[in-house]
Amino acid sequence: MRKSFFLVAAFSAFAACSSKEGSQSAAGATGGTLIFASSSDADAIFPPFVTDITGRMLEDQIFDRLAEIGPDLRTVGDQGFSPRLAQKWVWAPDSLSIAFSIDPRARWHDGKPVTAADVRYSFKTYVDPKVGSPVAPTLTNLDSVSVRDSLTAVAWFKKRTPEQFYDVAYQVVIFPEHVYGNIPPEQLHTSDATRKLVGSGRFRFVKWDAGSRIEIVSDTANFRGRAKLDRVIVVKTDPATEKAQLLSGQADFMEAFPPDQIAKLDSNAFARALAFPQLGYTFMAMNVFTPKSKTVPHPIFSDIRVRRALSMSVDRVAMLRNVFGERGRLAHGPFPMTLGVADSTIHPAGYDTTAAKAMLDSSGWRVGPNGMRAKNGRPLRFTLISATSSITRGLYGVLLQEQFRKIGAQVDFDNLDPQAYLPRMFAGDFDAILGSYGTDPSVTGTKQNWGTAGIGGQNFFRYSNHTVDALLDSATSAFDPAKMKTYSSRAFQTIIDDIPAIWLYDLLVVNAVNRRFDTAPTRADGWWANLADWSVAPNKRIDRDRIGLAQPKP
Amino acid sequence: MRRHLVARLWQSLIVVVLVTTISFVIIRLAPGDPFSYDAGNLRPEIRDHWREQFGYNQPVPVQFVHYVTSVLRGQFGYSFAMHESVSKALAEAVPRTLLLGGVALGLSFLFGVVVGVLQAVGRGGWFDRISTSTLVVLYSLPDFWGALLILLIFAYWWPILPAGNIVDSTLHDYLSGWGRIADRLKHLVLPVSALTLLTTAGVARFQRAAMLDVLPADYIRTARAKGLTEREVIWKHALRTALTPMVTLLGLALPGLLGGTLFIESVFSWPGMGQLAAAAISRRDYDLVTAVVVVGSVIVVIGNLIADVLHMAIDPRVRE
Repeated sequence: MRKSFFLVAAFSAFAACSSKEGSQSAAGATGGTLIFASSSDADAIFPPFVTDITGRMLEDQIFDRLAEIGPDLRTVGDQGFSPRLAQKWVWAPDSLSIAFSIDPRARWHDGKPVTAADVRYSFKTYVDPKVGSPVAPTLTNLDSVSVRDSLTAVAWFKKRTPEQFYDVAYQVVIFPEHVYGNIPPEQLHTSDATRKLVGSGRFRFVKWDAGSRIEIVSDTANFRGRAKLDRVIVVKTDPATEKAQLLSGQADFMEAFPPDQIAKLDSNAFARALAFPQLGYTFMAMNVFTPKSKTVPHPIFSDIRVRRALSMSVDRVAMLRNVFGERGRLAHGPFPMTLGVADSTIHPAGYDTTAAKAMLDSSGWRVGPNGMRAKNGRPLRFTLISATSSITRGLYGVLLQEQFRKIGAQVDFDNLDPQAYLPRMFAGDFDAILGSYGTDPSVTGTKQNWGTAGIGGQNFFRYSNHTVDALLDSATSAFDPAKMKTYSSRAFQTIIDDIPAIWLYDLLVVNAVNRRFDTAPTRADGWWANLADWSVAPNKRIDRDRIGLAQPKP
Repeated sequence: MRRHLVARLWQSLIVVVLVTTISFVIIRLAPGDPFSYDAGNLRPEIRDHWREQFGYNQPVPVQFVHYVTSVLRGQFGYSFAMHESVSKALAEAVPRTLLLGGVALGLSFLFGVVVGVLQAVGRGGWFDRISTSTLVVLYSLPDFWGALLILLIFAYWWPILPAGNIVDSTLHDYLSGWGRIADRLKHLVLPVSALTLLTTAGVARFQRAAMLDVLPADYIRTARAKGLTEREVIWKHALRTALTPMVTLLGLALPGLLGGTLFIESVFSWPGMGQLAAAAISRRDYDLVTAVVVVGSVIVVIGNLIADVLHMAIDPRVRE
């Protein structure tokens, strides 16, 4: 018998929270405007097309999911999930369907009630091939959604899996059929309607001046209680000036403050640092095939001894301190430590240049008169590419170049425009590459990145080991979280032993926020997870915090 | 004169068509396409699906035929960077750039002419020497660097003016009528100053040279002999003649000014054509890049035409 889940306790807690919110509002505890200086506009804000951080941040404020993942990002079963649009859910005895009961208080921002038909429409839209949603490939186990009654949607699955609840509750955002249902699926991408959002979240959409600003305001009638801030405005700002705007108090928030300048935040009167450990890690991958080829072995990296030697020649701790100061987090392997199945006991081989040099000597790469190594007349020289969109990776590229030089390897570091970097990345047109993987909370993401099935997709350097595939398959099909972790750890260790990459650092973004904001806890899948609970104390408010929710003057 | 104008119009049309074709091809030859932007969860198969949906997987000549056909129907395509039709994006951005560029052009000619005249009149004097050195420094400053310097001084070290945007992102909509005008002016000060400072130098140098050509002329000597005041001689008689080459410069200054706005708009987050172009190029937003280049070339061509017409109107020798 599978679990049925009726969240009486959580519901009561929520009700108490709502009433508290009301009293706070009366006492003036709500209010404030957050100006978010962003170097990029959102790529999309209509849920099926969201791909970037700004879009995800806005999507999560304006829309709701059926259930919300817990702070520890557990993905097995429904443990840790709390109600959102669904106030409860019941598993079928065979676990092949889950009936979600929509909270009868839930309303779209235009006042219409949220219904089970909206849930069905959302699922249909995500998986419709004419739509081409980036989320669709994660929903292959979802067969369909049916409507039992106006407030009960039933999700049907093709097979029972440990993460089927996560798939339906985390990956899918619900949007209203009465607003978007009349638009042909193939036109959703370019339709004006998908730029004027109607959601059910604690913030509602106001306007999007493309390439300039996006504004959302608190939904005061929201069934989960209004957002404490009155409004959030995302202002597209040139990367060269967003820092100046933040440090002068003209903007309130920016993502990824340059790591080499974080010390400025400690003494700045306006802004402070807000560290945010992300679900991601950065590495230098070594292509075992000749660039662009899928079969010809790489003259340098096809030899595991060379990969090992290069890995051991890198002082990862010193580089971390150089770039991040005391704030950095060393990568353990092909997983971030924020992942539920992360294993802190796993480590790549340690820093040892003597052993690295000996290993290169024994594999035939001898030091020449110029101090550089060569084998059969071929110098130990390769190109390392990175994208200019990441300052941190750029800094690491230079440091790696210097570290490899010390053991006689010459690196040509090529920091490319992202539009030039990505086609080369996907085509395997590189010797070595500095890359970052942002993963989702599930170990399924590891399969896409390091599994053979991911070749041609996210596994862009074509790493393949069938033992790893089998271990990751076992991990993703384990219902017992402990077993999932065991299989994952063995898969991670096997990948580390193959040395397809040098693991550099876990993504820890230091955001910067104006000191007048009281922030709520962040979550590894998004600093904005509790943005609706950020607040500004009345005595710290400035002019823009006091506008309230009045309508703009005509 | 009419025949000359018609010929110039045909030339202009050919220039615009050529610019359209070249920009259309060049942006497609650059690495990447509108769907090759950096997005972790965007899988290759989805990118390919979108390429097919929007016809970017077809050969460039086929895409060009489609583009020309839709332009002839009055449709300039869809902008993936702006998430709206190209026409709409341009309709919002072009007036903002014209405002910024127009004000800066007007001010830089006003200051440039005055400074140039004063330099020529006091040739070799202290004002000529100091202002020439200052203007040469300003003239040699890269646009981007100069703008950043101004921003650093007046928005960060001595924060008396807003660092960017066309209006206050939050308060503007809630201000009174006069408040909104003041807000707009306040946001205009830094970008206009940056653009004006960097353009004034060139104008002043031209004006100085033109005045130095005119001042030794016989009719100026005659004017002085007639007993006119020095002010009347300089500002009424000499300047009128010395302004003729400035009309040509006005036409030529437009391309430079448009180029300058690209940097200035980026630095000051001014949502005009410059910022639009920067976003479009970095996103390989094909239709938008082509449209921005075409609109830019049309503005330049119109500027040159206006300069031609004014030149003809001022100088009878050209009319003949």
